[in-house]
Amino acid sequence: MELDWSVIVHAMPALLQGAKLTVFIAVVGLAGGVLVGLLFGLMRAYGNRIVSAIAFVYVEFVRGTPIVVQVMFIYFALPVLLDIRVDAMTAAVTSIIVNSGAYISEIVRGAFLSVPRGLREAGLALGMPTWRVLAFVVGPVAFRRMTPPLGNQFIVSLKDTSLFIVIGVGELTRQGQEIMAANFRAVEIWSAVALIYLALIGVLTFALRTVEKRMRIL
Amino acid sequence: MSMVEFAGVTKRFGKTVVLDRVDLQIDRGEVVVLIGPSGSGKSTLLRCINALERIDGGDLRVDGISVLGSKAKVREIRQEAGMVFQQFNLFPQMTALENVAFGPRQVRGTSKVDAEQLARELLAKVGLADRVAHYPSELSGGQQQRVAIARALAVKPKLMLFDEPTSALDPELRQEVLRVMQALAEEGMSMVVVTHEMTFARKVGTRLIFMEHGHIAVDGPPVDLLDNPPNQRLRDFLQHVG
Repeated sequence: MELDWSVIVHAMPALLQGAKLTVFIAVVGLAGGVLVGLLFGLMRAYGNRIVSAIAFVYVEFVRGTPIVVQVMFIYFALPVLLDIRVDAMTAAVTSIIVNSGAYISEIVRGAFLSVPRGLREAGLALGMPTWRVLAFVVGPVAFRRMTPPLGNQFIVSLKDTSLFIVIGVGELTRQGQEIMAANFRAVEIWSAVALIYLALIGVLTFALRTVEKRMRIL
Repeated sequence: MSMVEFAGVTKRFGKTVVLDRVDLQIDRGEVVVLIGPSGSGKSTLLRCINALERIDGGDLRVDGISVLGSKAKVREIRQEAGMVFQQFNLFPQMTALENVAFGPRQVRGTSKVDAEQLARELLAKVGLADRVAHYPSELSGGQQQRVAIARALAVKPKLMLFDEPTSALDPELRQEVLRVMQALAEEGMSMVVVTHEMTFARKVGTRLIFMEHGHIAVDGPPVDLLDNPPNQRLRDFLQHVG
Protein backbone atom coordinates (compact mmCIF):
# COMPACT_ATOMS: atom_id res chain seq x y z
CA MET A 1 0.00 0.00 0.00
CA GLU A 2 1.42 3.33 -0.92
CA LEU A 3 0.22 6.57 0.52
CA ASP A 4 0.18 9.79 -1.41
CA TRP A 5 -0.06 12.63 1.08
CA SER A 6 -0.01 15.21 -1.68
CA VAL A 7 -3.70 14.52 -2.31
CA ILE A 8 -4.33 16.35 0.95
CA VAL A 9 -2.90 19.51 -0.53
CA HIS A 10 -5.35 19.29 -3.40
CA ALA A 11 -8.19 18.45 -1.08
CA MET A 12 -7.40 21.17 1.45
CA PRO A 13 -9.39 24.07 -0.06
CA ALA A 14 -12.55 21.96 -0.15
CA LEU A 15 -11.94 20.58 3.34
CA LEU A 16 -11.42 24.04 4.77
CA GLN A 17 -14.57 25.18 3.02
CA GLY A 18 -16.31 22.34 4.87
CA ALA A 19 -14.61 23.26 8.13
CA LYS A 20 -15.93 26.81 7.78
CA LEU A 21 -19.44 25.49 7.44
CA THR A 22 -18.92 23.19 10.42
CA VAL A 23 -17.80 26.12 12.56
CA PHE A 24 -20.68 28.25 11.34
CA ILE A 25 -23.30 25.62 12.18
CA ALA A 26 -21.73 24.98 15.57
CA VAL A 27 -21.40 28.64 16.53
CA VAL A 28 -24.89 29.72 15.47
CA GLY A 29 -26.42 26.49 16.77
CA LEU A 30 -24.73 26.74 20.14
CA ALA A 31 -25.52 30.44 20.53
CA GLY A 32 -29.16 29.49 20.06
CA GLY A 33 -28.70 26.41 22.23
CA VAL A 34 -27.38 28.48 25.11
CA LEU A 35 -30.40 30.81 24.94
CA VAL A 36 -32.83 27.90 24.72
CA GLY A 37 -30.96 26.07 27.48
CA LEU A 38 -31.03 29.10 29.74
CA LEU A 39 -34.76 29.55 29.21
CA PHE A 40 -35.74 25.92 29.71
CA GLY A 41 -33.22 25.36 32.49
CA LEU A 42 -34.64 28.25 34.50
CA MET A 43 -38.17 27.10 33.69
CA ARG A 44 -37.37 23.73 35.21
CA ALA A 45 -35.50 25.08 38.18
CA TYR A 46 -37.85 27.86 39.21
CA GLY A 47 -41.07 27.56 37.19
CA ASN A 48 -44.42 26.49 38.54
CA ARG A 49 -45.62 22.98 37.85
CA ILE A 50 -46.91 23.65 34.32
CA VAL A 51 -43.89 25.64 33.16
CA SER A 52 -41.54 23.10 34.65
CA ALA A 53 -43.46 20.22 33.02
CA ILE A 54 -43.16 21.83 29.58
CA ALA A 55 -39.41 22.08 29.99
CA PHE A 56 -39.23 18.52 31.30
CA VAL A 57 -41.07 17.13 28.27
CA TYR A 58 -38.79 19.01 25.88
CA VAL A 59 -35.64 17.76 27.58
CA GLU A 60 -36.87 14.18 27.73
CA PHE A 61 -37.91 14.17 24.05
CA VAL A 62 -34.53 15.41 22.92
CA ARG A 63 -32.48 13.27 25.25
CA GLY A 64 -34.57 10.22 24.46
CA THR A 65 -34.00 10.33 20.69
CA PRO A 66 -30.82 10.22 18.61
CA ILE A 67 -29.72 13.46 17.00
CA VAL A 68 -29.75 11.80 13.56
CA VAL A 69 -33.43 11.06 14.00
CA GLN A 70 -33.99 14.64 15.16
CA VAL A 71 -32.34 16.14 12.09
CA MET A 72 -34.18 13.74 9.78
CA PHE A 73 -37.42 14.76 11.45
CA ILE A 74 -36.71 18.45 11.09
CA TYR A 75 -35.53 18.14 7.48
CA PHE A 76 -37.95 15.55 6.08
CA ALA A 77 -40.92 15.22 8.43
CA LEU A 78 -41.52 18.78 9.60
CA PRO A 79 -41.99 20.15 6.05
CA VAL A 80 -44.69 17.56 5.46
CA LEU A 81 -46.43 18.25 8.75
CA LEU A 82 -46.33 22.03 8.58
CA ASP A 83 -46.28 22.44 4.82
CA ILE A 84 -43.13 24.58 4.88
CA ARG A 85 -39.79 24.38 3.12
CA VAL A 86 -36.73 23.76 5.24
CA ASP A 87 -33.32 23.98 3.58
CA ALA A 88 -30.54 21.73 4.75
CA MET A 89 -28.55 24.48 6.51
CA THR A 90 -31.57 25.67 8.46
CA ALA A 91 -32.32 22.10 9.46
CA ALA A 92 -28.72 21.62 10.59
CA VAL A 93 -28.59 24.79 12.67
CA THR A 94 -32.04 24.10 14.14
CA SER A 95 -31.00 20.59 15.10
CA ILE A 96 -28.00 21.86 17.03
CA ILE A 97 -30.15 24.49 18.76
CA VAL A 98 -32.82 22.00 19.75
CA ASN A 99 -30.41 19.24 20.70
CA SER A 100 -27.79 21.23 22.60
CA GLY A 101 -30.55 23.38 24.14
CA ALA A 102 -31.92 20.35 25.94
CA TYR A 103 -28.56 19.28 27.35
CA ILE A 104 -27.60 22.85 28.21
CA SER A 105 -30.89 23.36 30.04
CA GLU A 106 -29.90 20.50 32.35
CA ILE A 107 -26.49 22.10 32.85
CA VAL A 108 -28.15 25.44 33.66
CA ARG A 109 -30.65 23.85 36.03
CA GLY A 110 -27.96 21.91 37.84
CA ALA A 111 -25.68 24.92 38.17
CA PHE A 112 -28.39 27.25 39.48
CA LEU A 113 -29.69 24.69 41.95
CA SER A 114 -26.17 23.93 43.18
CA VAL A 115 -25.74 27.51 44.40
CA PRO A 116 -26.36 27.57 48.17
CA ARG A 117 -29.92 28.59 48.98
CA GLY A 118 -28.60 31.16 51.43
CA LEU A 119 -27.34 33.38 48.61
CA ARG A 120 -30.80 33.56 47.12
CA GLU A 121 -32.25 34.35 50.54
CA ALA A 122 -29.63 37.03 51.13
CA GLY A 123 -30.60 38.69 47.85
CA LEU A 124 -34.31 38.43 48.59
CA ALA A 125 -33.75 39.75 52.12
CA LEU A 126 -32.33 42.95 50.63
CA GLY A 127 -35.73 43.47 49.02
CA MET A 128 -34.79 42.54 45.46
CA PRO A 129 -37.28 40.97 43.07
CA THR A 130 -36.64 37.28 42.40
CA TRP A 131 -35.55 37.79 38.78
CA ARG A 132 -32.91 40.30 39.85
CA VAL A 133 -31.64 37.91 42.51
CA LEU A 134 -31.32 35.19 39.87
CA ALA A 135 -29.65 37.51 37.38
CA PHE A 136 -27.21 39.33 39.67
CA VAL A 137 -26.67 37.11 42.70
CA VAL A 138 -27.22 33.46 41.82
CA GLY A 139 -26.50 33.76 38.08
CA PRO A 140 -22.88 34.90 38.30
CA VAL A 141 -22.05 32.08 40.73
CA ALA A 142 -23.97 29.53 38.66
CA PHE A 143 -22.28 30.69 35.47
CA ARG A 144 -18.86 29.88 36.87
CA ARG A 145 -20.02 26.40 37.80
CA MET A 146 -21.50 25.93 34.33
CA THR A 147 -18.30 26.52 32.42
CA PRO A 148 -16.78 23.02 32.55
CA PRO A 149 -19.91 21.06 31.56
CA LEU A 150 -20.82 23.76 29.03
CA GLY A 151 -17.42 23.35 27.39
CA ASN A 152 -18.04 19.64 27.19
CA GLN A 153 -21.36 20.23 25.45
CA PHE A 154 -19.76 22.68 22.98
CA ILE A 155 -17.28 19.98 21.97
CA VAL A 156 -19.98 17.33 21.61
CA SER A 157 -22.15 19.65 19.51
CA LEU A 158 -19.27 20.66 17.27
CA LYS A 159 -18.67 17.01 16.48
CA ASP A 160 -22.38 16.32 16.10
CA THR A 161 -22.35 18.59 13.04
CA SER A 162 -20.63 15.71 11.22
CA LEU A 163 -23.97 13.88 11.30
CA PHE A 164 -25.46 16.43 8.93
CA ILE A 165 -23.78 14.43 6.19
CA VAL A 166 -27.13 12.59 6.13
CA ILE A 167 -28.98 15.64 4.85
CA GLY A 168 -26.27 16.70 2.45
CA VAL A 169 -24.92 19.76 4.22
CA GLY A 170 -21.43 20.38 2.84
CA GLU A 171 -19.70 20.46 6.22
CA LEU A 172 -16.30 19.00 6.91
CA THR A 173 -17.20 15.32 7.05
CA ARG A 174 -19.36 15.58 3.94
CA GLN A 175 -16.53 17.26 2.03
CA GLY A 176 -14.16 14.51 3.09
CA GLN A 177 -16.62 11.87 2.00
CA GLU A 178 -17.06 13.44 -1.44
CA ILE A 179 -13.34 13.80 -2.08
CA MET A 180 -12.76 10.27 -0.92
CA ALA A 181 -15.45 8.98 -3.24
CA ALA A 182 -13.63 10.57 -6.18
CA ASN A 183 -10.04 9.56 -5.41
CA PHE A 184 -10.39 6.59 -3.03
CA ARG A 185 -7.65 7.96 -0.78
CA ALA A 186 -9.33 6.92 2.45
CA VAL A 187 -6.31 7.02 4.74
CA GLU A 188 -5.05 10.40 3.61
CA ILE A 189 -8.42 12.16 3.46
CA TRP A 190 -9.87 10.81 6.72
CA SER A 191 -6.59 11.57 8.49
CA ALA A 192 -6.81 15.13 7.26
CA VAL A 193 -10.45 15.41 8.26
CA ALA A 194 -9.68 14.05 11.73
CA LEU A 195 -6.80 16.46 12.20
CA ILE A 196 -8.95 19.44 11.24
CA TYR A 197 -11.57 18.42 13.85
CA LEU A 198 -8.80 17.96 16.36
CA ALA A 199 -7.47 21.45 15.61
CA LEU A 200 -10.93 23.03 15.90
CA ILE A 201 -11.58 21.37 19.23
CA GLY A 202 -8.07 22.22 20.38
CA VAL A 203 -8.83 25.90 19.81
CA LEU A 204 -12.14 25.54 21.65
CA THR A 205 -10.51 23.76 24.59
CA PHE A 206 -7.84 26.43 24.81
CA ALA A 207 -10.47 29.20 24.79
CA LEU A 208 -12.45 27.44 27.53
CA ARG A 209 -9.38 26.97 29.66
CA THR A 210 -8.56 30.63 29.32
CA VAL A 211 -12.05 31.60 30.44
CA GLU A 212 -11.86 29.23 33.40
CA LYS A 213 -8.48 30.51 34.45
CA ARG A 214 -9.63 34.09 34.37
CA MET A 215 -12.44 33.51 36.83
CA ARG A 216 -12.43 31.57 40.02
CA ILE A 217 -15.03 28.86 40.42
CA LEU A 218 -17.07 29.84 43.44
CA MET B 1 -47.63 51.85 65.99
CA SER B 2 -45.57 48.77 66.70
CA MET B 3 -42.55 48.00 64.61
CA VAL B 4 -43.58 44.35 64.37
CA GLU B 5 -46.98 42.94 65.16
CA PHE B 6 -47.82 39.24 65.17
CA ALA B 7 -51.54 38.55 65.41
CA GLY B 8 -52.36 34.86 65.80
CA VAL B 9 -49.55 33.83 63.44
CA THR B 10 -49.43 30.16 62.56
CA LYS B 11 -46.71 28.51 60.52
CA ARG B 12 -46.63 24.88 59.49
CA PHE B 13 -44.01 22.77 57.74
CA GLY B 14 -46.09 19.97 56.33
CA LYS B 15 -48.01 18.62 59.32
CA THR B 16 -45.65 20.05 61.91
CA VAL B 17 -46.91 23.23 63.53
CA VAL B 18 -43.85 25.41 64.02
CA LEU B 19 -45.59 28.58 65.19
CA ASP B 20 -48.91 28.15 66.93
CA ARG B 21 -51.09 31.30 66.96
CA VAL B 22 -48.31 33.57 68.11
CA ASP B 23 -49.19 37.08 69.33
CA LEU B 24 -46.30 39.47 69.75
CA GLN B 25 -45.67 43.19 69.54
CA ILE B 26 -42.25 44.70 69.19
CA ASP B 27 -41.85 48.44 69.53
CA ARG B 28 -39.35 50.81 68.00
CA GLY B 29 -35.98 50.73 69.76
CA GLU B 30 -36.49 47.38 71.44
CA VAL B 31 -33.71 44.80 71.37
CA VAL B 32 -35.54 41.51 71.58
CA VAL B 33 -33.47 38.41 72.26
CA LEU B 34 -35.13 35.17 71.19
CA ILE B 35 -33.99 31.97 72.85
CA GLY B 36 -35.28 28.45 73.05
CA PRO B 37 -34.40 24.84 72.31
CA SER B 38 -33.81 23.86 68.68
CA GLY B 39 -37.09 23.28 66.91
CA SER B 40 -38.93 25.68 69.19
CA GLY B 41 -39.67 28.00 66.27
CA LYS B 42 -37.41 30.93 67.09
CA SER B 43 -35.63 31.05 63.73
CA THR B 44 -38.89 30.53 61.91
CA LEU B 45 -40.49 33.37 63.85
CA LEU B 46 -37.61 35.62 62.79
CA ARG B 47 -37.80 34.52 59.15
CA CYS B 48 -41.54 35.19 59.07
CA ILE B 49 -40.89 38.84 59.88
CA ASN B 50 -39.22 39.52 56.55
CA ALA B 51 -41.39 36.99 54.75
CA LEU B 52 -38.61 34.52 53.97
CA GLU B 53 -41.17 32.11 55.37
CA ARG B 54 -44.81 32.51 54.39
CA ILE B 55 -47.21 32.46 57.28
CA ASP B 56 -50.12 30.01 57.11
CA GLY B 57 -52.51 31.79 59.44
CA GLY B 58 -53.09 35.06 61.25
CA ASP B 59 -51.47 38.32 60.20
CA LEU B 60 -48.03 39.81 60.63
CA ARG B 61 -47.34 43.50 60.09
CA VAL B 62 -43.98 45.18 59.90
CA ASP B 63 -44.16 48.96 60.27
CA GLY B 64 -47.82 48.63 59.34
CA ILE B 65 -47.24 46.59 56.18
CA SER B 66 -48.68 43.08 56.10
CA VAL B 67 -46.50 40.18 54.98
CA LEU B 68 -49.60 38.87 53.22
CA GLY B 69 -49.57 41.79 50.78
CA SER B 70 -48.36 41.98 47.18
CA LYS B 71 -44.82 41.11 46.15
CA ALA B 72 -44.00 44.81 46.04
CA LYS B 73 -45.23 45.23 49.63
CA VAL B 74 -43.18 42.24 50.75
CA ARG B 75 -40.09 43.81 49.14
CA GLU B 76 -40.87 47.00 51.04
CA ILE B 77 -40.87 45.02 54.30
CA ARG B 78 -37.56 43.40 53.39
CA GLN B 79 -36.02 46.80 52.77
CA GLU B 80 -37.15 47.91 56.22
CA ALA B 81 -35.99 44.74 57.97
CA GLY B 82 -32.33 43.96 57.38
CA MET B 83 -31.33 40.34 57.87
CA VAL B 84 -28.10 38.76 59.10
CA PHE B 85 -27.76 35.02 58.62
CA GLN B 86 -25.98 32.33 60.58
CA GLN B 87 -23.94 31.38 57.51
CA PHE B 88 -23.22 35.01 56.50
CA ASN B 89 -24.34 34.35 52.91
CA LEU B 90 -22.07 36.98 51.42
CA PHE B 91 -22.00 37.15 47.63
CA PRO B 92 -18.77 35.27 46.84
CA GLN B 93 -18.18 36.92 43.47
CA MET B 94 -18.07 40.39 45.00
CA THR B 95 -15.56 42.17 47.22
CA ALA B 96 -16.57 43.37 50.67
CA LEU B 97 -17.20 46.83 49.21
CA GLU B 98 -19.31 45.46 46.35
CA ASN B 99 -21.28 43.28 48.75
CA VAL B 100 -22.26 46.31 50.82
CA ALA B 101 -22.81 48.68 47.88
CA PHE B 102 -24.95 46.09 46.08
CA GLY B 103 -28.17 46.50 48.10
CA PRO B 104 -28.55 50.28 47.85
CA ARG B 105 -27.77 50.16 44.12
CA GLN B 106 -30.31 47.40 43.52
CA VAL B 107 -33.22 48.50 45.67
CA ARG B 108 -32.69 52.16 46.57
CA GLY B 109 -31.55 53.35 43.17
CA THR B 110 -28.41 54.84 44.69
CA SER B 111 -25.68 55.87 42.24
CA LYS B 112 -22.49 53.83 42.11
CA VAL B 113 -20.40 56.61 43.64
CA ASP B 114 -22.83 57.22 46.50
CA ALA B 115 -23.32 53.51 47.16
CA GLU B 116 -19.58 52.93 47.38
CA GLN B 117 -19.16 55.94 49.64
CA LEU B 118 -21.87 54.57 51.91
CA ALA B 119 -20.29 51.11 51.79
CA ARG B 120 -16.91 52.52 52.84
CA GLU B 121 -18.51 54.32 55.78
CA LEU B 122 -20.37 51.22 56.90
CA LEU B 123 -17.33 48.97 56.55
CA ALA B 124 -15.35 51.47 58.61
CA LYS B 125 -18.12 51.40 61.18
CA VAL B 126 -17.85 47.61 61.56
CA GLY B 127 -14.07 47.93 61.77
CA LEU B 128 -13.20 46.72 58.29
CA ALA B 129 -11.99 49.88 56.56
CA ASP B 130 -8.85 48.02 55.52
CA ARG B 131 -10.70 45.06 54.04
CA VAL B 132 -12.88 46.74 51.41
CA ALA B 133 -11.14 45.07 48.46
CA HIS B 134 -11.12 41.59 49.95
CA TYR B 135 -13.35 38.81 48.70
CA PRO B 136 -15.39 36.86 51.28
CA SER B 137 -13.13 33.82 50.83
CA GLU B 138 -10.22 35.99 51.98
CA LEU B 139 -11.93 37.04 55.22
CA SER B 140 -12.31 35.28 58.56
CA GLY B 141 -15.76 34.24 59.71
CA GLY B 142 -16.01 37.17 62.10
CA GLN B 143 -15.01 39.59 59.36
CA GLN B 144 -17.49 38.03 56.94
CA GLN B 145 -20.28 38.41 59.46
CA ARG B 146 -19.40 42.06 60.02
CA VAL B 147 -19.48 42.64 56.26
CA ALA B 148 -22.90 40.95 56.27
CA ILE B 149 -24.09 43.36 58.97
CA ALA B 150 -22.82 46.31 56.93
CA ARG B 151 -24.56 44.90 53.86
CA ALA B 152 -27.87 44.74 55.70
CA LEU B 153 -27.43 48.26 57.12
CA ALA B 154 -26.68 49.70 53.68
CA VAL B 155 -30.32 49.43 52.67
CA LYS B 156 -31.10 51.69 55.66
CA PRO B 157 -33.49 49.36 57.48
CA LYS B 158 -35.58 50.42 60.46
CA LEU B 159 -35.23 47.02 62.03
CA MET B 160 -32.45 44.43 62.08
CA LEU B 161 -33.01 40.68 62.27
CA PHE B 162 -30.18 38.42 63.41
CA ASP B 163 -30.50 34.66 62.94
CA GLU B 164 -27.89 33.07 65.23
CA PRO B 165 -25.24 35.48 63.97
CA THR B 166 -22.40 33.99 66.02
CA SER B 167 -23.29 30.29 65.97
CA ALA B 168 -21.01 29.51 63.00
CA LEU B 169 -18.07 31.34 64.55
CA ASP B 170 -15.19 30.22 66.72
CA PRO B 171 -15.53 31.57 70.27
CA GLU B 172 -12.70 34.07 69.86
CA LEU B 173 -14.35 35.57 66.77
CA ARG B 174 -17.77 35.99 68.36
CA GLN B 175 -16.88 39.05 70.39
CA GLU B 176 -16.05 41.21 67.38
CA VAL B 177 -19.49 40.52 65.94
CA LEU B 178 -21.29 40.99 69.26
CA ARG B 179 -19.53 44.32 69.81
CA VAL B 180 -20.79 45.60 66.44
CA MET B 181 -24.29 44.48 67.37
CA GLN B 182 -24.05 46.17 70.74
CA ALA B 183 -22.95 49.44 69.12
CA LEU B 184 -25.93 49.19 66.80
CA ALA B 185 -28.30 48.66 69.73
CA GLU B 186 -26.82 51.65 71.54
CA GLU B 187 -27.59 53.80 68.49
CA GLY B 188 -31.24 52.90 69.04
CA MET B 189 -31.70 50.37 66.23
CA SER B 190 -34.69 48.06 66.72
CA MET B 191 -33.38 44.51 66.76
CA VAL B 192 -34.62 40.96 66.97
CA VAL B 193 -31.83 38.52 67.74
CA VAL B 194 -31.95 34.73 67.83
CA THR B 195 -28.93 33.70 69.84
CA HIS B 196 -27.48 31.53 72.58
CA GLU B 197 -25.25 34.35 73.85
CA MET B 198 -26.70 34.96 77.31
CA THR B 199 -24.15 37.62 78.17
CA PHE B 200 -25.31 39.59 75.16
CA ALA B 201 -28.95 39.05 76.14
CA ARG B 202 -28.27 40.39 79.60
CA LYS B 203 -26.08 43.32 78.57
CA VAL B 204 -27.73 44.50 75.37
CA GLY B 205 -31.21 43.01 75.29
CA THR B 206 -34.18 45.05 76.46
CA ARG B 207 -36.47 42.05 76.31
CA LEU B 208 -36.03 38.31 76.43
CA ILE B 209 -38.39 35.82 74.85
CA PHE B 210 -38.17 32.10 75.56
CA MET B 211 -39.87 29.98 72.95
CA GLU B 212 -41.06 26.44 73.26
CA HIS B 213 -43.08 24.22 70.90
CA GLY B 214 -44.08 27.16 68.71
CA HIS B 215 -45.31 29.24 71.64
CA ILE B 216 -43.88 32.20 73.47
CA ALA B 217 -43.38 30.61 76.89
CA VAL B 218 -41.72 33.49 78.73
CA ASP B 219 -41.43 37.16 77.81
CA GLY B 220 -39.84 39.82 80.00
CA PRO B 221 -36.78 41.88 80.98
CA PRO B 222 -33.60 39.83 80.41
CA VAL B 223 -31.92 40.49 83.76
CA ASP B 224 -34.98 39.41 85.79
CA LEU B 225 -35.58 36.32 83.71
CA LEU B 226 -31.96 35.23 83.70
CA ASP B 227 -31.51 35.77 87.43
CA ASN B 228 -34.85 34.32 88.48
CA PRO B 229 -36.22 32.06 85.75
CA PRO B 230 -39.98 31.95 86.40
CA ASN B 231 -40.37 28.60 84.73
CA GLN B 232 -38.63 25.28 85.25
CA ARG B 233 -37.97 24.63 81.59
CA LEU B 234 -36.33 28.02 81.11
CA ARG B 235 -34.19 27.20 84.16
CA ASP B 236 -33.18 23.87 82.57
CA PHE B 237 -32.52 25.53 79.25
CA LEU B 238 -30.32 28.21 80.78
CA GLN B 239 -28.32 25.54 82.54
CA HIS B 240 -27.64 23.83 79.22
CA VAL B 241 -26.49 26.95 77.35
CA GLY B 242 -24.63 28.04 80.49
